[in-house]
Amino acid sequence: MNRNILTVIIPIVFAKFVLCTVHTGSAQPLFEDEVGVERYIVEGRVFPPEPNEASNWQIDTRIHINGGEYIGFVKNDGSFTVHNVPSGSYVVEIVHPDYMYEPVRVEINSKGKIRARKVNYIQTSQVIQVPYPLKMKSGSRCKYFQAREQWRVTDFLFNPMVIMMVLPLFLIMILPKMMNDPETKEDLKQISNMTKMSDFPEMSEYITAMFSGGAKPSASKAKQVKKRQ
Amino acid sequence: MGMLSIRLKRNFLGLLKFLNSMNWFIIFFSLINLSMCIYEDQIGKFDWRQTYVGRIKFSHFDTVSTAKKIIVATEENVLAALNLKTGQVVWRHVFENASPGDIQLLHYSDGEKVTTVTGSNPYLVRGWDPATGVLLWEWPISIIDNERAHLSEWWVQNGMLVHLLPAFGSHLEVTMYNLMTGANRGVTSKLPAVWTNDGCILTPPYYTCISGSMGNYMILSLDVTSNAVQIISKPLSNYFGEKEVIEGNLRSLDGKNVLPGFIIDDKKVLLIKNNEFEQLYIKLAEDSTVTLVDAMNELTLIQASSDEHKGFALSAYNIATGKEIMDLRITEPSLHIPEPEILEIVCINTAREQPACRILINGADDALHLMQQGGRIIWSREEALANIVAVEFVDLPVSETDAALESEFDQKEGSVWAAFVRRLYTQYQQLQTLLQNWQGEGLEADSPTALVRDYFNLHKIIVLITDVGKIYGMDNLSGEILWHRYDGNLNTESVVMFTRRTARHPPHDAYITIIGKHEETGNGYIISLNPIRGTLVGERALQLDVRLQQVALLHVADSEKLYALVLLDEDETVQVFPVSAAPLVRDLYMYVADRDTGKMQGYTLRYNGKQVIAQRTWSLNLGGTGARIVTIAGKSRNERVHSAGKPLADRSVLYKYSNPNLVLVLLERPDPIHKDVVTAVAVDGACGAVVAASTHRRARALPLAVHADNTIAYLYRSDKHRRLEIATMELYEGKERWLSAGTQFSSFACARAPSVERQAYILPGALTALAFTTTERAITDTHLLLALSTGKILELPWSFVEPRRPLSPTGEHREEGLIPYAPEVPLPSEASLNYNQTTHRVRAIYAAPSGLESTSLVLATGLDIFYTRVAPSKTFDLLKDDFDYHLITIVLGALIVASYSTKYFASRKMLKQAWK
Repeated sequence: MNRNILTVIIPIVFAKFVLCTVHTGSAQPLFEDEVGVERYIVEGRVFPPEPNEASNWQIDTRIHINGGEYIGFVKNDGSFTVHNVPSGSYVVEIVHPDYMYEPVRVEINSKGKIRARKVNYIQTSQVIQVPYPLKMKSGSRCKYFQAREQWRVTDFLFNPMVIMMVLPLFLIMILPKMMNDPETKEDLKQISNMTKMSDFPEMSEYITAMFSGGAKPSASKAKQVKKRQ
Repeated sequence: MGMLSIRLKRNFLGLLKFLNSMNWFIIFFSLINLSMCIYEDQIGKFDWRQTYVGRIKFSHFDTVSTAKKIIVATEENVLAALNLKTGQVVWRHVFENASPGDIQLLHYSDGEKVTTVTGSNPYLVRGWDPATGVLLWEWPISIIDNERAHLSEWWVQNGMLVHLLPAFGSHLEVTMYNLMTGANRGVTSKLPAVWTNDGCILTPPYYTCISGSMGNYMILSLDVTSNAVQIISKPLSNYFGEKEVIEGNLRSLDGKNVLPGFIIDDKKVLLIKNNEFEQLYIKLAEDSTVTLVDAMNELTLIQASSDEHKGFALSAYNIATGKEIMDLRITEPSLHIPEPEILEIVCINTAREQPACRILINGADDALHLMQQGGRIIWSREEALANIVAVEFVDLPVSETDAALESEFDQKEGSVWAAFVRRLYTQYQQLQTLLQNWQGEGLEADSPTALVRDYFNLHKIIVLITDVGKIYGMDNLSGEILWHRYDGNLNTESVVMFTRRTARHPPHDAYITIIGKHEETGNGYIISLNPIRGTLVGERALQLDVRLQQVALLHVADSEKLYALVLLDEDETVQVFPVSAAPLVRDLYMYVADRDTGKMQGYTLRYNGKQVIAQRTWSLNLGGTGARIVTIAGKSRNERVHSAGKPLADRSVLYKYSNPNLVLVLLERPDPIHKDVVTAVAVDGACGAVVAASTHRRARALPLAVHADNTIAYLYRSDKHRRLEIATMELYEGKERWLSAGTQFSSFACARAPSVERQAYILPGALTALAFTTTERAITDTHLLLALSTGKILELPWSFVEPRRPLSPTGEHREEGLIPYAPEVPLPSEASLNYNQTTHRVRAIYAAPSGLESTSLVLATGLDIFYTRVAPSKTFDLLKDDFDYHLITIVLGALIVASYSTKYFASRKMLKQAWK
């Protein structure tokens, strides 16, 4: 079983952490269920997320082994040691509320030999070693929030609704003028008929109608007279 | 241009129509937005977090540093610094939950460093900076003799860590280490001490025992750190009267004492002064906590006690004169601290001859109080909340006017005219309240009477039961504690809580019942409360005379809208509370599962004319021999599903198998070939039929399983691949309905097995809690809520772990919106509900529906409490909280103005044209 899996060539993309690739293949059975009485330490160093991090990041940084089965804390210089760990295979995580760190799998065999490799949950037998004592560097800042859309003129102009309104306007107003075509004019007339504001009440009329009550017919008559002229 | 103009020329209107239809597409796509995290300005808007440390084990005042604080170490394995003025956490370190995190010693040397000893063989000694909390040094100790290691005593003396390991009846082993480096100062000295027994106590550096036979007791004390072995020994009868019976119980004084001292038989106080015993002739009150402090440069003995009727009392005595110091006396009849224990007292001498004291008191209810002389409490911390065992969201009652409005619709009898008069009257009432609000009388609404339901039912009361037996009522919007009640008799080991009547039925009040065990007898213990005010109602606190097996609520309410409580006793008899509801019991089924054997037993309950009897109907032995039930996940009692199935790409419907009686049982059993085997079985709880099952070899189950509607999810650790996997199942009836729409599901009428979809996914992380979001009608998507060991709470859409995710997606799958299968489930930080507010050791997540279909209320409990609300399908029934009311008003106003002004100009133009 191991033979087959180990023929997988480790891509060079991971070379950032690779010191050497192990081809022995005995990795998985070697570290299983040999929990002895001997206790070992897991050590390493956490590098501050930003070179000159002002707040004391050490207090918020914790080292979790197997999801908190063993917990370590960071000293002022960033170094950490987790004591009293029996032999076995562990996932070491650096927990910080604002920064992400890549977890590392640390394996301690029954003789106390320790090696570290990248965590791969899918191909569990793939071994890409990383240096031990561990050197943990922050990947990036955790992104927790969505950016709130801000009101910008360009946003407004490129808004589909606005484009929908402006573009036809452009087509209706400008294009027909560009091409003096009787057929298009016919179409235009049709459109303008549709959008005629004829059924829109005149404000002044409305108000006079409201106050003078029965004077309505005369007002409309006056208008008709105007039009006739 | 040519092409375009030709097209335009052809059909100008057609183009417009085409553009119009495009519009809909654009709107449709802008609605699909898969990201769901919150905005930065929403921090703290819907969510709050409360941080706790747990019951205090050790404490130290740090009055030397500029920022005065109290360093505490707790039963929850937390080391923290609390602000002396406010009681807030300054910094906090959470150690391992299990034995490696047990705190054995907390030592504070003035202003420099805090030392802790944690673990249980091997031990770990750590030094901390008290100001920042940063780790200074650490070194391990392991004790060779593992059998006796738990008897170890630790203390710090002259910058050396002293470890004492007694061998009762033989000798004492004393080892000293350099505190900073762990360098052993040489050898372990063995002090011969044949007089030691398990009743001995350590009051550093003296080790004291009462030895000898009844009636002939000797008290012996030894300074274990001095070079010369000097045993102080006196017959105990020296300190007792002739006729007094001496029992020989020894206990040390509480708190930090100036001199080593102890109490014999809760009566006599002995001190060790200049290597001699000295008796104090001060009468001790019953059940009092006693400590020795240095107040006003005089040795002072302080004792405090609490009585149910007399309240809290504290008195101080000058040791030299034996007189009481009246300045320090406290009698506070209104203050109740159950079984107070003085952790520490610090007195600062002021110029006015009056000592300013700070008294730190721990109660049996895990509350921590800082008191000053005179009895004023400066702050209190409810540390019981670090250990919540049960949670219930309770609706608030509607306001009086709303209640009147609702009652109007209840009255169906009467003529049309009567209804019309009622209508007018209520509207008159509404008008009155409106006017009152205008007159500024609405300010009173901020008083506690403002606990009324809001329009969307988002405001609720959370009832919390804590491990120690303290019950809290909490406002869900602010996190403020509204009421609390401590009951020392309540053992909360397997406590359950039922809402027996909601606040929807005025004039009846809401009614909640807690069923636990009695602390001493282990029999059933029932507490009934009004969840709004925290007062006892109905059965009040009732101790049953029998142990309980199973509890259920009756499915029909009685005439007072109260759901009866049905209890199945150990000897399979049934009790119903209230008794008057017994005739209502029918069609009630119960099951009892044995955690250790994996056996399940089903019962049918019915009323036979005189009483309710339970009949055994079915039994199952799940998981094979040696199986043990890890967890059982049933459905929420309040679950209402208003979606019958899923529409498929071919416009047919895949109907869900919605069996309300379905229960998921997760078992684990050792296997000779595959080590451990995890079995998940979905059982019908009414008829005992196994509906679906699956097994996982070389795996260990985690007590994390959820079940809602037709979906099941549970977690297990794959030992083979050393990773966490989540297995999901969905049960479907198929493309045709088994029962016609609207028919009630019956477990006894369905002999057909549903089709089961199943899949497993890898979770890259360690989980501590799992839950589903719940909404009022289950039309909204369900999301999984995961609590990670790193302190994050994530919201994971069900579509990521859906068992129907196809391996090779076809066009139909794509149209339905199924994501192609990928083994690993992504856990992005954007999905984190609690952003950078780490919540440590989340033990459970509770979700409750709100009045809005889109919104689910979420409470995560553990060491910290975190509350928020989530909208799995976005808030489709609510305007966005950043909805721009101003813009829409301005646009509307501008449009009206523009239209009228153009009208005016148009008419003017027309007039001009007409004159031409």
